[in-house]
Amino acid sequence: MTAHLTPLGLSLLTVAVWALSLAVLSARAELFVAALPLVLALAALALRPSIPDYALTHEVSSDRVFEGDTVTVTVSVTARSAVPLMELLEPLPYASDLASGRNRAVMALRPGQTASFRYEVRWPGRGVHDLGTVVVRGRDRWGVRAWERRHVDLTRVRVYPRIVPLRSLPRPFHTQTSVGDYTSPALGEGIEPGDIRQFTPGDRIRQVNWRASLRLGSLYVTQRHRERNADVVLMLDTLAQVGVAPETTLDLGVRAAASLATAYLARKDRVGLIIYGGVIDWVKPGSGRAQYERLAGALLRADVVFTYVAKDLALVPPRVLPPRALVIAVTPLLDQRFTKAALDLAARGFDLVVLVVSPVDVTRAMLAGSPTDDVACRLWALERRTRLDGLRRHGLAVLEWNPAEPLEPALAGLERRRPRLAAAR
Amino acid sequence: MIRLSAAAFASVLFVVPVLTAAVPAVTAVGLIGLALAAVGIATRWRWPVTAAACLFLTDYAAALWLADASVSVAGAAGFGLSLLLLLQSTELARCAQHATVDAGLARSQIIHWLGFAAATLAATFSAMPLATALAALMPFAAAPVVAAAGALGAVLALAATVIRPRR
Repeated sequence: MTAHLTPLGLSLLTVAVWALSLAVLSARAELFVAALPLVLALAALALRPSIPDYALTHEVSSDRVFEGDTVTVTVSVTARSAVPLMELLEPLPYASDLASGRNRAVMALRPGQTASFRYEVRWPGRGVHDLGTVVVRGRDRWGVRAWERRHVDLTRVRVYPRIVPLRSLPRPFHTQTSVGDYTSPALGEGIEPGDIRQFTPGDRIRQVNWRASLRLGSLYVTQRHRERNADVVLMLDTLAQVGVAPETTLDLGVRAAASLATAYLARKDRVGLIIYGGVIDWVKPGSGRAQYERLAGALLRADVVFTYVAKDLALVPPRVLPPRALVIAVTPLLDQRFTKAALDLAARGFDLVVLVVSPVDVTRAMLAGSPTDDVACRLWALERRTRLDGLRRHGLAVLEWNPAEPLEPALAGLERRRPRLAAAR
Repeated sequence: MIRLSAAAFASVLFVVPVLTAAVPAVTAVGLIGLALAAVGIATRWRWPVTAAACLFLTDYAAALWLADASVSVAGAAGFGLSLLLLLQSTELARCAQHATVDAGLARSQIIHWLGFAAATLAATFSAMPLATALAALMPFAAAPVVAAAGALGAVLALAATVIRPRR
């Protein structure tokens, strides 16, 4: 760390030299006297620089927040020797806003004194951000000499996508073997009454349907449907996006995917994720709180990576795309490669729902709203409607979501015909 | 608060030359200096304040030359201190811009300024008898040469201090 002359020192030098010059030229002793304080202040440069001794701590109130939440950052300085003047600056991370307070502070400390400053920072969009680089600039008593030091004590803050509670969810056609919230066509232990049959040895007395038994003259038992869970795979399109961060179609899709994942996990379903883009990433289906953490971590990293290569779903391991899983494709349908992949999935017999994040509405929100823009958006909307109708004709369940409106009504509008279940489990 | 103190120092620098010689030219130059200082204080730019300080010095030299009054050591020391404090307070205001300012900063700075002012005045007044004795001993013709040499020596010493490599 090297002390250096400050601009104030140069200003003082300029004024002092000017004062001495005027003193000689005007032959007035007063100007020599007037130059004396300036010369004395500059004479401090001849002294050995003493770098203040201090300890700096950096605290962050939370390292996991949702979009739009604030994090309180507290920076404390404890002086071990006198600190005449100290400036502290913590640069704000990328794509963050200062919610309150200031990320710069100026302080003077006596030996043993502690001072701190705090501010709140907010991230409108998801991501992983590092906090904890504090740049300290100290000055000597006269302000003519300064030194700088950079303190790095990184805290990684994860900003998760906002979640909206969802009640209406696309219902899976097929259930799995674990206990869940869906009434399975298969009969067994459960709550929902199914059929009645004659009593056989081994049946429990509490299963006896007394009303039917009295009417038919022999013992009958009530069979019940099992409650089972389902496998849900969310497939996020990261091939292309439109809009301005943090409201791009990808950001909106990530929020929708996070909300869907939370809702399905709350129903005891196993939820997986495929990020389909320039780089394919995935999370194997699982359930529980830890699975949400894995899904949210993958969603944080989701970004558009440009590529000309059409990715093949054959790259995805079979365990990530289990048979009889409900696949929900979240996409703005801007790239034909994703449409092809969705049709490929449907052709392979997957129960597929396509949730289309409308890029027309996102683009319209960005534009000034001139008549030309309006006509262009309407033409684009018509063209997209034709494309979506084409997908529907292929038998795909397609939902179009205008991001200006809540997701729930878009999901509630889904009408699907249950296929005939030949081999119910 | 910090900028108010800077404005007060600028006002002192304007008033001292005007009180020394109440001439329209001195007042006009002082007003230009005051305007430059105001720009510097308002915008927190450094160069207008430095230029204002040089202008105030020129104004003061002109006032002294026009008035041809007897030497006022206290007034000159006060003028010099005001110059220093104007530059320092403007720099402090610049530092405090868009920053959380610790409560102890103003107190610490005022104590430092008062201490420095007292030390400067004490040094000036203690050096005056020595300077008077030396002036009496020195031949009248050699005085300008000695003054010029002293000033040049001071400038060179300052320059050497500023440009020497630092640890």
